[in-house]
Amino acid sequence: MDSKIASLSSLEDLIAAAGGGSTSALKRLYELESRRLYGVALRIAGRPELAADALQDAFVQIWQRARSYSAERGTAAAWLTGIVRYRTIDAVRKVGREILSDDPALGDRADSPDIEEQMDRSLMQDALRRCMGELEQNQRRCVALAFVEGLSHSEIAARLGVPLGSVKSWIRRGLLWLRSCIGNDPQR
Amino acid sequence: MIPSDSEELHVLAGEYVLGVLEPEVMNELALAAGSNPALSLAIAYWEERLHGLSRLALPADPPPQTWARIAERIAVPAMPARRIGLWNCLGFWRGSAALATAVAASLALYIALAPRPAALRFVAVLHSPQQEPAAWIATAVGNGLLLRAVASVAAPGDRSFELWAIGPSGGAPKALGVVPANGQLEIGALPEALEDGATLAISIEPKAGSPAGRPTGPVVFLGRLNTVRP
Repeated sequence: MDSKIASLSSLEDLIAAAGGGSTSALKRLYELESRRLYGVALRIAGRPELAADALQDAFVQIWQRARSYSAERGTAAAWLTGIVRYRTIDAVRKVGREILSDDPALGDRADSPDIEEQMDRSLMQDALRRCMGELEQNQRRCVALAFVEGLSHSEIAARLGVPLGSVKSWIRRGLLWLRSCIGNDPQR
Repeated sequence: MIPSDSEELHVLAGEYVLGVLEPEVMNELALAAGSNPALSLAIAYWEERLHGLSRLALPADPPPQTWARIAERIAVPAMPARRIGLWNCLGFWRGSAALATAVAASLALYIALAPRPAALRFVAVLHSPQQEPAAWIATAVGNGLLLRAVASVAAPGDRSFELWAIGPSGGAPKALGVVPANGQLEIGALPEALEDGATLAISIEPKAGSPAGRPTGPVVFLGRLNTVRP
C-alpha cells in the first residue's frame, strides 16, 4: 500500500487517495508540499510557531476536505495554498498583529523582502506577471501585500500610511483589471 | 449579501481570496460558498489566477514535530473489542456512510420495538468525515437529546468534544454542549427543536468548550438527523 502511494506522482492523485482515507497519501502530500506551504504561512504569520500551528490546522482541514476536491475546480497546488493561507490569516487575526510589531526582535517587517523587487524576478506565470506589471503601482503593491503577507484592507492602509478608502478602491480596480487582463486562461 | 452581478461577485471573491476582508465577512463568505456555486467558482478562479504570487514566499522547513502532530490529530480513535449487546456490537455499527441511513433506520426500529419511556422522534448516527464506523448515536429524549459514544473515543489531551447542530439549509452551528469524559451527553431541553435533515457535528475544543460560540477546532464526527415517526 505504502509503496503504491509513494509512486503516485501527482498532487491531485494524492489528494484523491487521502480523500479515500489513506493517511500515507496525506503524509506524502506533506513531504512534497510542506516546505512550500510553510513558507507561505511563515510569510503571512511572521512567527514560526504561529505558522507551524496554522500549517497543522491546514493539513487537518486538507484531510477532512480531500474528498470534496476535484481537478475541475483548479490545480491541487492552488487549492492547498488557499487552505493554508486562509488558516494562517485567520490565526494571525485572532492573535492580533500588534504582538508581532511590539517585538523588537521581529522588526516591523521593513526587512521583509521588497515585494516589488521580488515580483520583477519571480517565477510567476507569464500572464499574471505581465498583468501585474501593467497595473498602476499602488494597485499592484496592494494586491501583492494582501496575497503574500495576508494583510487586510485596514492593515495595508496602516502599512502604507494612506486612507482606507484609497486601499479599497485600488484593490477593487486592481482586481477588475487583472480579471480583464488574465481572462479565463491562467497560462495565456 | 452575495451579489448576483458577475463583476461584483468577482470583486468580492477576489477580495476574499486576497484576504483583505474583515474576519466576520471572510467567515460568512466561506460558509456561503458551500451552497452558492457561482461564488465558489469565482473563488476558485482567483485562487488559480493569483496562485503565482505565492511564489514570492520562500520555502522553509517547518518544525520537525509538525507532521507527528498532524498524524495524531487525524488518527481515527480505535474501536473497542468488547461486545455487550446491540449497542456495543461492532458488526452492527460498522459500515460506510451510504449505510448510515439504513443503520439509523434499523436503530429506530430497534428502539421503537424496545420498551422505552420517552417518545422517540429522531436519531442521528455520527461518523468521522472519513466515513469510519459509527462512533456516536444521538436520540431524542423528551424535549432533549441523549448522545452516547458507541466506539471508544477520547478527545486528545486537555481537550473536549463539543456537540453542535447545523440546520438543514446550513447557517451558523449552534452549540449544544460539551461531552463529558464518560462519552455520554444528556441535554434535558434543547434550546430549540432540531429539524429533520439537520446535521449534528462534534468538534475538538478547549476543555470547557469553544470560547467563540462556534467550532474553533476540527470537526471530527458528523451525522445527519433523521426524524422517526413511531
